[in-house]
Amino acid sequence: MSKKYEITIGIECHVQLATKTKLFSEVDNDARGKDPNTCVSPVDYALPGMLPRLNKEAIRMAVVAGQALNSEINLSSRFDRKHYYYPDLPKGYQISQLYHPIIGAGYIELPDGTRIRIEHAHLEEDAGKLSHYDTYSLVDLNRAGTPLIEIVSMPDIHSAKHAHDYCKELWRIMTFAGVCYGDLYNGNMRFDVNISLALPGAEKLGTRAEIKNLNSFRSVERAVEYEYERQSKLLDAGERVVQETRGWNDATGKTTSQRSKEEAQDYRYMPEPDIPPINLTKEFVEANKPGLLPADYREKLGGTISSDILEILLDYQPLVAKLVELEDKNAIKKVSNLFSSVLLAEENTSLLNDELPSATQLKDLVAMSENQELSSTGTKEVFIKFFDPEMHFKDAKTIAKELNVLQENDTGALEAIVDKVLADPATKKAQEDYKAGQEKVLGFLVGQVMKESHGKANPSAAQTILKEKLK
Amino acid sequence: MEITREDILHLADLSNFSLSEAEIDSLGNNLQDIIKYISQLDELDTEGVEPTYQVFEMENVWRDDEILGQDATPDELLATAPAEYQHQIKVPKVL
Repeated sequence: MSKKYEITIGIECHVQLATKTKLFSEVDNDARGKDPNTCVSPVDYALPGMLPRLNKEAIRMAVVAGQALNSEINLSSRFDRKHYYYPDLPKGYQISQLYHPIIGAGYIELPDGTRIRIEHAHLEEDAGKLSHYDTYSLVDLNRAGTPLIEIVSMPDIHSAKHAHDYCKELWRIMTFAGVCYGDLYNGNMRFDVNISLALPGAEKLGTRAEIKNLNSFRSVERAVEYEYERQSKLLDAGERVVQETRGWNDATGKTTSQRSKEEAQDYRYMPEPDIPPINLTKEFVEANKPGLLPADYREKLGGTISSDILEILLDYQPLVAKLVELEDKNAIKKVSNLFSSVLLAEENTSLLNDELPSATQLKDLVAMSENQELSSTGTKEVFIKFFDPEMHFKDAKTIAKELNVLQENDTGALEAIVDKVLADPATKKAQEDYKAGQEKVLGFLVGQVMKESHGKANPSAAQTILKEKLK
Repeated sequence: MEITREDILHLADLSNFSLSEAEIDSLGNNLQDIIKYISQLDELDTEGVEPTYQVFEMENVWRDDEILGQDATPDELLATAPAEYQHQIKVPKVL
């Protein structure tokens, strides 16, 4: 169904950098699972006279992240103070970068090839976490001072699906580049989505609403769909869209007004005098490039495995990295099927936390499967055992032997089993029926061979021998 | 530049404090004087001159990413807050 209005979306994404310490203080930056207000320093509390001490690793990670966004790195960057008064920010200002951000213009490509331009990205400190109760609010400063990069897109996104895909691709890029843990549940990445509608061909964009603080790709997609409906109803009725900040409620599936931009945020930006300018060398930038990114994996694996399966596997960086390590196309194809159909099956996803099998283990397994030494069921059983702590370092053949799933391909041995089955009086009638033209009883006889071999006979080899003997 | 009563109230609002009538006038006068003094700089042509970020010509003042002990413990820091509840800083309801 074609839509009446054209939707235009720009997204600001906050990415928490995975440094060991905070941006301006030497305390633990990973507060996941820790009690509130335990990862804190006098700097985070803004005690009088405290000076911020810049973490060099945050600068390095920003350089890696910027290059992962195909962005120009600004060799010269500066910090600024952004003033606002709120209990999650004890200093009364946030140290950010307004005028000279470290990351310049760039772009990313969505899985379908759509290019979304990045306007810029800047470094700043996160604020504390507020929780609200009936008559009071509580402040946890554990994440106050966590380094963030805020990635600002151009308004190049025109559908809920692309908004979803853009956020997901950013998540992949940042985690593949190793600059973010990517734990969305714990707020490692948060999205602010600007949405406006206009009639197709309109010269000016419509008035936008900003949906703040979304923390899943799905909620981004749903919020955009909801806003399309809300704004198009207003426009259809000849009313106007108010420029404002709105909050998303995942339970109701609705956005609600939070504050009107018209009551003017006045941040009184000024140069940050406590942090001297950052001047990087080209060599430093060159030495801090990201490793393989989703786009690289698409290029390396795209010709070998279907894009449907590849896009699923791209949510798990270690899996695609392992596939690339295999090199051999046939092995990549087989192992990608094992990854997607066995490892990612719901009952096995806990195995994803374990160390993956080595390339050699996997290649041996593929070879055994190709040589008919393992049936497809046997292949899966051995594969799963690679994750068993007791079998982890054993090779495919050893595990297959221990599981007793090696197929009997030795013609001599198979013939002996077939002879034994044919000599059994219990199969006499079936043999006569087969000879009389009832070919389907062959299945019964193959079954008897399988039984006699304890499941290890290769069924198609057994069938061939049976046919030969019953001529 | 004329500092109006509205400017003072706006600034007070941004900083979240209330002012008495007398303070509004005296602060307004003070601010007016400060701005007048600073405005002497308007005589200079600063076209194309970069804003000063710092005056000591320092650059790249940074530290390694290592967790270090702090001069105050989390409990001592929390004790500086006006009120606490369940190891969090308790504040009047916002939002």
